[in-house]
Amino acid sequence: MSDLAPMISIVIPTHNRCGSLQRTLDALQAQRYPAERMEIIVVADGCRDDTLPMLRSYHAACPLQIVESGGNSAASARNRGAASACGPIVLFLDDDVEPRPTLVAAHAQAHGARPGQVVLGPSLPLPIGRRGYFHQRTRFWWDEKFRELGAPGHRFTYQDLLSGNLSLDRATFTRFGGFDTALGTAREDYEFGLRLIKAGIPFHYVPEALADHHEHETGNLDSSLRRVRHEGRSDVLIGQRHPEVVCTLALSFWRPGARRRQRLLQWLVFHAPDLGDRLAAGLGRQLPLLERAGLREQWGRLHNQLRLYWYWRGVAEEAGTPARLIALLREGAARAPRGPITCAINLAAGVEVAEHRLDTERPAAAHLWYISGTLRRHIGVLPEQPGAEPWRGAHLRPYLARHLAPPFLKALAEAGAIHPAPPEWQQRLTGAIERMERWYGPARAHELWWEQYSQWARLDAEQIAEV
Amino acid sequence: MAIAVLDLDMDRLPPFIAGLERYTAALILLRLHGVPVGQALLPVVAGRLGGDDLRLGLLEAADSAFWEAWLRSYLGERPAPIDPAQLPRATVAVCTRDRTEDLARCLAALMALPDDGQEVLVVDNAPATTATRDLVARYPRVRYVREDRPGLNNARNRALREASGAVVAFTDDDAAPDPLWLRTLLRNFDDPLVMCATGLTMALELETSAQITFQRYGALTRGFKRIVFDNAWHDPLLGWQAGAGANMALRRVVTDCVGPFDPALDAGTPTRAGGDGDMFRRILHAGYRIVYDPQALSWHRHRRSWEALRAQLFGYEVAGFGILTRTLFFEGDLNAIRHAKQWLGREWYQLHQALRRRPGSTPASIVLDRFRGAALGPVLYLKSYWQTRKG
Repeated sequence: MSDLAPMISIVIPTHNRCGSLQRTLDALQAQRYPAERMEIIVVADGCRDDTLPMLRSYHAACPLQIVESGGNSAASARNRGAASACGPIVLFLDDDVEPRPTLVAAHAQAHGARPGQVVLGPSLPLPIGRRGYFHQRTRFWWDEKFRELGAPGHRFTYQDLLSGNLSLDRATFTRFGGFDTALGTAREDYEFGLRLIKAGIPFHYVPEALADHHEHETGNLDSSLRRVRHEGRSDVLIGQRHPEVVCTLALSFWRPGARRRQRLLQWLVFHAPDLGDRLAAGLGRQLPLLERAGLREQWGRLHNQLRLYWYWRGVAEEAGTPARLIALLREGAARAPRGPITCAINLAAGVEVAEHRLDTERPAAAHLWYISGTLRRHIGVLPEQPGAEPWRGAHLRPYLARHLAPPFLKALAEAGAIHPAPPEWQQRLTGAIERMERWYGPARAHELWWEQYSQWARLDAEQIAEV
Repeated sequence: MAIAVLDLDMDRLPPFIAGLERYTAALILLRLHGVPVGQALLPVVAGRLGGDDLRLGLLEAADSAFWEAWLRSYLGERPAPIDPAQLPRATVAVCTRDRTEDLARCLAALMALPDDGQEVLVVDNAPATTATRDLVARYPRVRYVREDRPGLNNARNRALREASGAVVAFTDDDAAPDPLWLRTLLRNFDDPLVMCATGLTMALELETSAQITFQRYGALTRGFKRIVFDNAWHDPLLGWQAGAGANMALRRVVTDCVGPFDPALDAGTPTRAGGDGDMFRRILHAGYRIVYDPQALSWHRHRRSWEALRAQLFGYEVAGFGILTRTLFFEGDLNAIRHAKQWLGREWYQLHQALRRRPGSTPASIVLDRFRGAALGPVLYLKSYWQTRKG
């Protein structure tokens, strides 16, 4: 294997997390991958704890390079680490993830199978019961993120690129200039992902490249709110560099002075940030009280408000004035996709044929039709989404089942593909599909019984009609 | 008036179904490729189902879950077979009390499960006779345990202690699980955070108006779509929505993680119900997950008499407010107040509808029973609590 196994350079930026880093290093010693085909580069970014002595005395089975940097940001630390790498493939790991033994081999194998791609691995929160609203919600976010990435036919967007467990060709990384250090500590991975997606570099998610994420040790409510502020700043920078994705950023929801609460928020972040920060800090102190009283709904609302405040605080900080923010939004609106959709696909020819066309044409958007004989039905659109990969054949079936099922089913019914029966009976089928459309899709917990109730009500109506 | 209950596979549909003269309508479990995927309700006309075209009639009445499954199948997706070797070892536990007629049907259904090495345990709860023991003696594969402290939750706790499997699947004695019930429940434990899996419970028969009322009430059915309940979006006090104790499986370690079933709750105590919902609440509260997997199918014989139904619905509210009492006074959780207020608003509306005899509304006697149950809930919970402390 080792002749074929590529050299993997593992880059770990770290900042004052000695114990956590050591756990990551220990896990890298237990990989099912030849140690002589691995090197580890730890970039100690302004560490003032025991990290450096620990690293110097650490006995690793593979070469371990220590790079010191001045505590600028994880983005610049990753760039420096990659610059010191020797192997053709760089694997970025965060210092709070603990790789499972198959991680490095899974990354290497994915690159062997399809060279030139970006390989994403899951960093799943440790599966232990957790109390506390904040930790439960954070874990849910991570779990959902990776569940979506692993779902069949997932269409990748730039927001899928997370730098905690990521590998790609070193040449590609260098060619694209690495992470943008101006973004600092938030969303520099998204921005890098955006440049890759725009250049057509394929993303690939490998569930076997699994790491346990000890995010409950390294994150807390305060740090997450600080992070949201950085995200606001980064979103402005991303919007300035790539105006076409402004419509995918949270800041695009800005409506000048729409409602009273929003007007207050806008005034605070742009004109009285000191007052706003004091208010937010005071409200933030209520969260533990609400949690102790079990008031989860109120906690959730306040938490959302605080996140909103800190996000806009970051946006205002970076944009400077409302006028500059509005200019950014105008620019984004002007660049939003609205071109005519030139690709039209007929599903009546068979789903395989449609998939093949998507695979060969890779359109940004497409019209779906069902045209058979005199029947001519528009099923819907595979929409253009800035910052997402072009459509592939594999996206089609899940998208049809999830988003376009009722019109597609109706067209199938009219074509006699569901139940061969006289045409006048097919209307009974399309009527039934229209009735169930309201309930189609994932279950909504507050409506668990409603569809059954509607079935019973329909039965009652039919029986009354008979009498 | 009675409603026929049918179990039909769309792949193997007979040309017509007749001879249902006794029934006015039919509740049909719809399967696709053998897997339960949805339900349909159809009138029965002159003993015949679905008019001139049974298949079309069923398609017309099918729910959204059926159509979703149909489309996925049309798009080439097939249900993934369950590999029994990948499943955790399980114990099936039946908690029972002097109901041998039902228990015999339940045991017969359990003997029809494929043998993956599961243990079958009958917990006989404070029996008045030896009938249960005698019945179980006829099944060499079934283990008999007697729990003398009355109360369903005492029996459940005993089952968790006695079980040898890593997962304990509970079925009520008045239920009859489908052959693939256990395997389907167990497949959900591949996520280590899943502490509990629940399944779909359909009506075994709808012969009396009490049974039909209960089915229309929807109490044991949670629809045909899989749901992963997580505290991040689901309020633990609504944990009871995740399923019912007649069809649930728990990891045996659940007692270490969130504690045992509350012996002051459920059948055999003044609170009458709620042991399952309280357990679901605590599982979610502790940050674990519950999966509702509607393909884990079981058939339940609802109470036949009107009196028994009223007692049951009364008991649900007693238990609901018992749990709120426990949450508010024993755990200091003010969220319980909000739930009580919401309950009041909802039931007030129901009462209003019932008194004005709106079509499809619940009979006023039942709504009033629910009010009575809610009012007595806190008192009965405290009474039950002191009884268990003393006992």
